[in-house]
Amino acid sequence: MTFWQKTYAFLERETRSATLVRVLLSIAFVLIVWELLTATLVTNRLLLVPPQEVFEALMREVRSGAVWTNGLATCLAVGASFPVAVLVGIAGGLLLSSSRLMSLTAGPMLTALYSVPIVALAPLVIAWLGLGFASKFVLVVLIAVFPVLVTTETGLRSTDRGLIDAARSFNASKWQIFTTVTLPYALPFIVSGIRVAWARALVGIVVAEFFGSFAGFGFAILAAGQTFDTATLLAYVMLLGAMGLIGSLVFEAIERRLAPWRQE
Amino acid sequence: MTDDATLHIRGVNKTFLRTGKPSVEALRDIDLTVKDGEFVAIVGASGSGKSTLLRIIDGLMPASSGTIAVGSRAVSRPGPDRAMVFQNDSLLPWKTVIENVGYGLAIGGMARAEREAIARRFIELAGLRGFEHHYPHQLSGGMRQRVNVARALAVDPRILLLDEPFAALDAQTREIMQAELLSIWGRQKKTVVLITHQIDEAVFLSDRVVVFSARPGQIRAEIPIDLPRPRDLEVKRSLAFVQLVDEIWKLIEHEVRLGMSLAVD
Repeated sequence: MTFWQKTYAFLERETRSATLVRVLLSIAFVLIVWELLTATLVTNRLLLVPPQEVFEALMREVRSGAVWTNGLATCLAVGASFPVAVLVGIAGGLLLSSSRLMSLTAGPMLTALYSVPIVALAPLVIAWLGLGFASKFVLVVLIAVFPVLVTTETGLRSTDRGLIDAARSFNASKWQIFTTVTLPYALPFIVSGIRVAWARALVGIVVAEFFGSFAGFGFAILAAGQTFDTATLLAYVMLLGAMGLIGSLVFEAIERRLAPWRQE
Repeated sequence: MTDDATLHIRGVNKTFLRTGKPSVEALRDIDLTVKDGEFVAIVGASGSGKSTLLRIIDGLMPASSGTIAVGSRAVSRPGPDRAMVFQNDSLLPWKTVIENVGYGLAIGGMARAEREAIARRFIELAGLRGFEHHYPHQLSGGMRQRVNVARALAVDPRILLLDEPFAALDAQTREIMQAELLSIWGRQKKTVVLITHQIDEAVFLSDRVVVFSARPGQIRAEIPIDLPRPRDLEVKRSLAFVQLVDEIWKLIEHEVRLGMSLAVD
């Protein structure tokens, strides 16, 4: 094998180091394209600044302490609301999967709510709850709860009949079937729902902070935009991107660990 | 539990009621006694209700009428005296071989150390030593089906129910598995009911072949298999074997063909 074939084979693998290298490669690719764009096509610095300037803006925000104030506001809001959304989503999914009648009755409504961009409710939620933590909390919960709820129910319902029959054949109780078959089978579904919910939660928090807050990444982005400070705006977008990426990688790793048999 | 593991099937009928559609009569007046330690194979065309009968015996499904008894004890739900080997391996994909083999024991409430010791014994019996900590997806189809058989045997049932256990395997693996099943049965002496599509498999393994007719499933004939035991794969080339297979094939050929033309319509 040549060097390139070996590299290619390594990159295709599902190992942690290969994943890391892939992520670094894609980041490098984006930075290069970005740098080239600012050097050639987009020379207007109001529209786009090179990565170097964004990094400097980020350092400025770190030194001034603004990044901590905003980061704390955003992380507190997400940190409080996201676990609630996950718990409520899982509980709702359990409830729906336990009763056919309930699932049939609530199903269409939930599908409708899942498809509606709940972000559109942001102005209303802020009108109800005012600017600040409460409206952010409610909005993120509303946005993040549905993917978890829907995948939990799907996961619990999609259990292989054969596995349930095998458990019943050993005289397993309903509770034993739930803990040894249905729930482990549904877990990877639930985690993939949580992964989707995480991405949606970040959108939710930014929109909530656009409309109604005095601190947070969304607030900082809006403020930078209004003063045409493109470098600072992009710096905060990068931070959000990092949060999204880290969350996604973590949940993917959990999913893989819970369902190693799906890889093959 | 009684010592007698004779399986009594008395006047079992099964009709599936379907809302908005005509009901389907799957089994009619099934009377069958499988003696303690006997190996009985049930063959029949598709739609003869063979698998339904097995599920009723296991207690996964109630009969519309009639009774199932093990020894003198009537049974209507799953119990430790019967264990089923399913057609699809139906192993828990997130559990290792040793955990899967011990699954029935865990459901029964046995402590981990004890059930792992038992599981190890049956893993060895199934020829899977060294694979205790593999996951099902790391095994071949034949190995998975061995785990499946080991899991059923581990709970030490009096009656082993096999629902087309080798149907998903390729022809060579199937032959090997049949021979291994015989050798395990020779040592364990369970009462066995085997459902199969393969007439040669039924003749090779069993003491008696019960031929079902289709729609509704009824017992059409019972053919004693008096080939000497222990049997090895050589038996399949003997004249007596071929004649038995031929005799049984003639009994169901018409219905198999009928089933095929129905499928074409």
